[in-house]
Amino acid sequence: MSISSIVAPSRRSFLKTSAVGAAALTLPAPFIKRAYGQAKKTMVFASGEPVTGNWDPTSHTVLAQINLEGFVFGQLFRTPMRSDNPTEIVWELATGQKILDLHTIEYTLRDGVTFHDGKKFGAEDVKATFEYASQPTRPAAWYPGPCEVEVVDDLTVRVHTKVGNYPAAAFYFLAGFLPIMSAKDIADQATLQARPNGTGPFKFAEQRGNTTVLKAFDGFMHGKPILDEVQFAYIGDATTRVLALMSGEIDVTERLEPEQYETLESESKVKLSRTIATENKYLHFRCDKPPFDNPILRQAAAAAIDREQVLAVMGAAGHASNNYISPVKFGYVDLENYPAYDPAKCQELLSQAGFPNGQGLPEMEYTTSTGFYPKTKEYGEVIAAMLQEQGFPIKFTVMETAAWGARLYQQAGQPSHAAMTDCGWSTGSPEPDLVLRSMFYGKAGPKGGLINGIQDADIDAALNAEQAEPDPEKRAGLIGQATGVIADKVPSLSLFTSVLLHGYRTELEGLYFFPNGPIDAVKAEFKA
Amino acid sequence: MGFILTFLARRLAQGLLIILVVSFAIFALVRMAPGDPARTILGGMASDELVEATAKEMGLRDPILVQYGRYLTGLLQGDLGNSYIKTESGGAAMANQDQGVSSRASVTTLIANTLPYTLQLAGLALLLTLVISIPIGIAGGVHAGRWQDKFAVYLSSIFVSLPNFWFAIVLALVVTARLGWIPSIGYQNFAYTILPAIVIAVEMSPIFIRSLSVSVADTLRQTFVEVAAVRGLGPRKILYGHVLRNAAVPILNLFGVQVGALLGGVLIVEYIFDYPGIGLLTVQAVTQRDFPVIQGVAILSSAIFVVVNILVDLAAARIDPRLES
Repeated sequence: MSISSIVAPSRRSFLKTSAVGAAALTLPAPFIKRAYGQAKKTMVFASGEPVTGNWDPTSHTVLAQINLEGFVFGQLFRTPMRSDNPTEIVWELATGQKILDLHTIEYTLRDGVTFHDGKKFGAEDVKATFEYASQPTRPAAWYPGPCEVEVVDDLTVRVHTKVGNYPAAAFYFLAGFLPIMSAKDIADQATLQARPNGTGPFKFAEQRGNTTVLKAFDGFMHGKPILDEVQFAYIGDATTRVLALMSGEIDVTERLEPEQYETLESESKVKLSRTIATENKYLHFRCDKPPFDNPILRQAAAAAIDREQVLAVMGAAGHASNNYISPVKFGYVDLENYPAYDPAKCQELLSQAGFPNGQGLPEMEYTTSTGFYPKTKEYGEVIAAMLQEQGFPIKFTVMETAAWGARLYQQAGQPSHAAMTDCGWSTGSPEPDLVLRSMFYGKAGPKGGLINGIQDADIDAALNAEQAEPDPEKRAGLIGQATGVIADKVPSLSLFTSVLLHGYRTELEGLYFFPNGPIDAVKAEFKA
Repeated sequence: MGFILTFLARRLAQGLLIILVVSFAIFALVRMAPGDPARTILGGMASDELVEATAKEMGLRDPILVQYGRYLTGLLQGDLGNSYIKTESGGAAMANQDQGVSSRASVTTLIANTLPYTLQLAGLALLLTLVISIPIGIAGGVHAGRWQDKFAVYLSSIFVSLPNFWFAIVLALVVTARLGWIPSIGYQNFAYTILPAIVIAVEMSPIFIRSLSVSVADTLRQTFVEVAAVRGLGPRKILYGHVLRNAAVPILNLFGVQVGALLGGVLIVEYIFDYPGIGLLTVQAVTQRDFPVIQGVAILSSAIFVVVNILVDLAAARIDPRLES
């Protein structure tokens, strides 16, 4: 016997062993659980973003947590924001609203509703929520300003906005986005932050690592949901989310990339949803400093950008729009004066600004993020190339999300970062002021618009006029005028409206995807 | 015994120095990165006053040596500080202005919660690596130039050509999503460790196979092996008692070096499979600029590296007593 005979099988025995091994691989090992092991009364939702761990809804503006709050908290009403009927209202904790005068709006409330902790819902909860959440110090500044709430009786409240000096009509759509908290929780901040307690269809059960577990609420006002449980799981990587969906580890995923959406179209185990979002994606010009403090230069840059090419890059994840608000928002119209691609006009404006063919312009940094919004890097490169073609000396910088986020907003006493930056703005209501006043109003932030830093008397006057109009029909016209003024001044260029791409298991039915991200799963169920 | 004690004392002192250097390098580097951690925590819309107040509360405005001294004092007591982002409840506190510093999760706890998963994954990956590498590597070395050797070379070439992220995605797509054989996304039971471990094993095996083949082939050419049969030793005794024993030392040293590659492989693989170990914690910490977690994991990694290499040296000395001198 030689050494080689100890360790080496013959070629024949090696091939035999290999064949047996390969055959064994085709049989699942008995101790291995099949991938499709989820109980079909549990829906697992994969979020692309983590929740904050502080359950006070006024403490954050994190989209993932807003989505989760959609399962847990009740609202006075919901606004499905379908593009064919953007102003539809579905009553929930309220049964009606009435504008009494310029500074007063009245809500009648639903009887027989309870919070998850057993407390009966009533007027004092609406009063506590509105007066607490509208404080200017609350980080989630969804309210137009402070307000006072008068309790008329157990099921009637009047919201007074004189203290904040804004019209009560501002709540007409906005109230369909504001989670209603328990007055008892608001009085006890530690409890408010420790767990979410609402009147929604699912109640908080536990936080299990990156997964928040919600259980169906027996006492839900419209009847107990069909599903027993919703698991809200954070999975950061988009590819992993899709693999998890295909394998049945999760049942619903958000933020599909356009390529993933197209690939999954042929996947029999998966259904797809394409929802025009409340979010527009903007190229913000930093108006607080040269060179884009010059409106002519902003108009020139806008004329250099062919948005059709940007949309071609976006594929299924982009929707053409010609306004600063989404088509699912109240007051949307295709603006006639919206900036259009016109290279000749761009050159004319550059000359008018004193920079013929871009000569003499300083280097302009254009920053964007990667990993948060779809395709920002890809269409950013297209935009940078188009601007360079017209003579803008663009330096394109792609940043990881945290670094980009830290440089995004205007800060008091310091120049903004870069000359241009890319950002979306998503809000959960048809109310257009949530976008327009945040982005374009001179007093929105320390230096004007929160990101572009615009301070313009004409824009401010137009926005004040539309906000003060209590008649919805007349207000829609004024919103059109205000957005027209913004289009003339171009503090930002809205590139397109985002489209929410969801994928979910074929056997899952009855979901409704709101255009700002939350999901209505009250009627959701798994069917064989 | 005297050798072992001297050796341990010397290597532990060296190891502590390495950990100290690594901890300072990481500590200084993350603070040189652009951006203010307080701004990251509070979000872009937080006021400058709040950012400043939070930064002072967290000691971020103190000189870097003062900060490092404070960190080191905590480190000596087993306290790696608190995460900037993760909360005790399991969420992420990023962009949350209400989140008190006290509610942020301890890095030690975060690591303690995730380390067992990673150890399980690394252990299985290592086992699979050895199961693949030892028979193929030894057969390749014993039969240098024959089909066993060629098989070892070709297999290693194929394995080394598979990028781990690509292989992980393909494996999850085919084995989990298409065939439904083995679950792999997330973690619910031991079965979720198998595919990630296979990916790491495939990444680590080529270097073990090739090293083992070369080492065994070299040892077989040594005079003491050639004359062993003349001394009346049987083939089994020669192979197991002499060839493999001598070939094991370089492989052990290689293993010490490969621990670093193993830890690196875990990062990518855990992220792709959403496996809740140190790797996933680290990737999330990097994307969220959670500096204390990054520091904690770096120190843990260097400590593991140091300890494993001390054990490797001890084992090598045990196998080959000449190394004691």
